[in-house]
Amino acid sequence: MNTPFFVNEPFTDFSVSSNRKLLRDALERLESTRSTAGLVAYPIINGQRRTTPNIFEREDPSTKDIQLGTIHFASRDDVDEAFSSIEEGRLGWQDTPISERASILNRAASIMQDRRHDLNALIIREVGKPWKEADADVAEAIDFCRYYAERAFHFASPIATSDIPGEENVLVYHPRGTAVVIAPWNFPFAIACGMTVAALVTGNGTILKPAEQSSLVGFALAELLLAAGVPPNAFAFLPGQGEDIGRALVEDKRVDLICFTGSRAVGQQIISSAATPYPEQRAIKRVIAELGGKNAIIVDEDADEDDAIRGILASAFGFAGQKCSACSRLIVVGKQYSRFIERLIEAAADLIVGPSAQPETVVGPVVDDDAYQRLNRTIEHARQECRVVVAARNGSEGYFIPPTIIVDPPLTSSWWSEELFGPVICTTSVATFDDALRLATDSPYALTGGVFSRNPRNLEAAKRHFAVGNLYLNRAITGALVARQPFGGSRMSGIGSKAGGPDYLLQFVEPRTITENTSRRGFVPEIASS
Amino acid sequence: MLSDPQSHLQRPDPATEYLPATIPSFEDKVTDLGKKILAGIRVERASILSKQYWSQRFMEWSTKTPSLKRNLFRLVDVLPSLESSDAISDHIAQYLGDEASTLPTWAAWGIRPPGSATKAIMASGVRLGVRQMAAQFIAGETPRAALGTLRSIRRSGFAFTVDLLGEYCVSEREAESYLKRYIECLTVLGSSVPKWRESRSLMQDNPGDSRAACVSVKLTALYSQVSSLNQKRSVTLLSDRLALLANEARQANAQIYVDAEDSANNEIIYKAFKRVFSSAEFRGDFLVGCVVQAYSRHAATLLTDLLSFSKERGCPIAIRLVKGAYWDHETTVARQNGWSSPLFSHKSSADANFERLSRFLIDNHERLFPAFGSHNVRSLSHACVYAESRGVPKSAFELQMLFGMADPIARAYRHHGHLVRLYVPLGPLLPGMGYLVRRLLENTSNESFLRHTFFDDHTTDALLTAPQFDPEDR
Ligand SMILES: Cc1cc2nc3c(=O)[nH]c(=O)nc-3n(C[C@H](O)[C@H](O)[C@H](O)COP(=O)(O)OP(=O)(O)OC[C@H]3O[C@@H](n4cnc5c(N)ncnc54)[C@H](O)[C@@H]3O)c2cc1C
Repeated sequence: MNTPFFVNEPFTDFSVSSNRKLLRDALERLESTRSTAGLVAYPIINGQRRTTPNIFEREDPSTKDIQLGTIHFASRDDVDEAFSSIEEGRLGWQDTPISERASILNRAASIMQDRRHDLNALIIREVGKPWKEADADVAEAIDFCRYYAERAFHFASPIATSDIPGEENVLVYHPRGTAVVIAPWNFPFAIACGMTVAALVTGNGTILKPAEQSSLVGFALAELLLAAGVPPNAFAFLPGQGEDIGRALVEDKRVDLICFTGSRAVGQQIISSAATPYPEQRAIKRVIAELGGKNAIIVDEDADEDDAIRGILASAFGFAGQKCSACSRLIVVGKQYSRFIERLIEAAADLIVGPSAQPETVVGPVVDDDAYQRLNRTIEHARQECRVVVAARNGSEGYFIPPTIIVDPPLTSSWWSEELFGPVICTTSVATFDDALRLATDSPYALTGGVFSRNPRNLEAAKRHFAVGNLYLNRAITGALVARQPFGGSRMSGIGSKAGGPDYLLQFVEPRTITENTSRRGFVPEIASS
Repeated sequence: MLSDPQSHLQRPDPATEYLPATIPSFEDKVTDLGKKILAGIRVERASILSKQYWSQRFMEWSTKTPSLKRNLFRLVDVLPSLESSDAISDHIAQYLGDEASTLPTWAAWGIRPPGSATKAIMASGVRLGVRQMAAQFIAGETPRAALGTLRSIRRSGFAFTVDLLGEYCVSEREAESYLKRYIECLTVLGSSVPKWRESRSLMQDNPGDSRAACVSVKLTALYSQVSSLNQKRSVTLLSDRLALLANEARQANAQIYVDAEDSANNEIIYKAFKRVFSSAEFRGDFLVGCVVQAYSRHAATLLTDLLSFSKERGCPIAIRLVKGAYWDHETTVARQNGWSSPLFSHKSSADANFERLSRFLIDNHERLFPAFGSHNVRSLSHACVYAESRGVPKSAFELQMLFGMADPIARAYRHHGHLVRLYVPLGPLLPGMGYLVRRLLENTSNESFLRHTFFDDHTTDALLTAPQFDPEDR
């Protein structure tokens, strides 16, 4: 057994009652702040909070009557000022020794540990994440800080490339310049943190724009990074609408690197906009994009049914299916199909749907009204053409979509082929395992995939032919851990190498080769001394 | 960082200092009894070999090499889900193909079948083998089908407790059908067992023998959403469902034990147990039982807590003391999550704790009826000798063993005048497989007393040495 070189931050063990109490108390603290002082997020430029007239009210997706917080959206002027501040600050930051930049990340990780449950509580309320998954979100952010802090040392000293007499060659890595990070709401803390600290630790000036649905969590992250010691003029935080502030950030001439996680549509827009040079643009913008998935799980004839059902439930309905790694296509091999599906349907129907602040909730709300309307329309539409089983509604006031199973949709339908980003899964049956593999990989996406099988030959075939970024055998397909399961896909699922993996930071630096002639008038030190 | 000073299971351990009264030549007496028991067993060894052909072969093979063991277990695990002979012979070839040379010739021949006719023969042969192996540990598919076996168990002078095997419960419909199976089981037992002449008492004045029928319940299979985060609802629903069973058990004149499971669920299980059996309706039910696992660091605290529960309730309960069946699982979960394990890390500590808690039980036998659940001759002999040394009669406690696991040991203790109860699982083959695999794993684990006794031929002295807490577990 290999001893792991990186030890992941443990999840909180909620079977211990005092741990449950810690989070319950944190939720109460948060609620009392919300109902008295109120929760507010601001743009931060040069370490200063800005108030703006551009107010966005975020509602609590679990109980939509409750107004959760007030967000001051950044203006175009703020964008301009943020860039100006960073243009100045990044030069000092890039000269800061890596050891110092890395220790700031480690300090951030320690603050996150100390504030673990307050951060959990905020994630639970703002995006509707259930307890365990909110806790995993913070754990992953801690991992990103520690892991990237460690990996950054690989760039600390020049790499000698060869030693020809009279000539010295080294390869050094430099920061790219200014990075714009556009973060998603579904891992509001972890992904925003991972992208931001990767850019920072490699010496880039960095501007973070959170998703509008998770601006409060983003604000907490920004303040935490500043408290950990990131210089105020190396980092800015700009909440705002994607179409407005996001676009302005991406299109600015002072951008060298764009790091994006989100939908395929926006990702493609960013990639093409980055490819279009604007007047006075100083570099070809490098884009790192983590996009969607339409991930399949294959259940083989000889699969362990209990394991498969549990793995599918977790992968399809955890956080209401709002993960790019979530399972949304189920392919069952052989005659067992209908019996298996009926068992799955019953199991899905009994999952506890409810407000995310309640500890027992397994399926929380979807993130906002837009998602709610869109998913309802999709489900209604599917209902007209195929068998759709929707678990009972729970009668709560939030944006709840109960677990939904679309049985045997046409394989040409949008439900089968497009990412739905909700607690919705399509199922189909095939005759053989090879058919299953073909169908699973017949998708523009290639992010995650899973196989439940006890047939060694089929597992081997999956390893070879199930071409996805993260393949899982006989387990759930979500919940990749930093360093243990570096995460990311190919094809339409994104460009760039894996988050939480050994190559990730390479994308945030540019290599430079330096060749020095060391001979002076025929005196070559190496030759003279030999 | 994640420890829990408040939880009732995790307070500092008041029974840590519970040491044996110094009894002269106590150890000698334990060794004497152990030797007598072991002598009886080793004589019987030839007969078990022939009677339990497949599982003996299986265990012999699987102690050869780690990779053969892994492949054999994986094969046994998958077999029941395979329907066609082709699928069976294909899986056998895949799992054992490379290892065939290490098996006896006839077995290797079976693995590389020359034609499809032999394929079918081999498939049915292997199936039969697995069925036989399962039949050694599982008494039948349904309670009715198992009545014959249960009756012959009584006839041989053993008590029994019945457990129903099931799939993992993923929905409320499955929870309901599991509950129904238990109710049906109690009805069947209640209407047949009392009529058997074999049901007359095995040991008149032993309270453990006051009822001929007994069932053991895996509580978490009665609710599909059991979780510590769903604790309130889990405890409420499981209490309601356990109350239904308790009521049914009363009508069937059956004793009921609530099994212990993994640490994450045990808190819920004990809460439900206490809620039901302290209620006005059931607080007077005699000798309702629950299980304490000696491998848990919190076992002593739990036992002290159950003693006060029994006092408050005013009616004795039964405690089955075991070492615990989830060690590998919990250790893996703890490692994967970076948690500290709630279990001892060394086998010797679990053994030593078992003895410490045995003494506690014997000293409190009037409130906590002791049922020592183990196949370990050292562990059991220690309990028996301690009882004797304290003047506690054999009729004040019982021994429990798993059906098919260690029949010679069960016979030897019965022969020695103890009440011995066999734990008898029932159920269809598919869900039974998990149980079978766990039994086989237990028998072939490096730490297993049974393996040391039956396969590794450890010396009697080695088998009977007094266990000590490992320094790491103190
Ligand atoms: C009648 C009966 C009912 C049972 N009911 C239950 C129940 O409700 N719940 C339950 O959990 N189990 C139950 N068991 C199983 C029991 O917990 C043991 O797994 C089994 O009996 C083997 O223990 P032993 O004393 O017979 O054998 P031994 O070989 O002496 O002991 C094996 C046991 O030692 C322990 N062990 C092994 N390695 C280590 C280690 N490294 N560190 C610490 N401990 C270790 C484990 O508990 C293992 O099972 C029951 C057993 C019987 C006989």
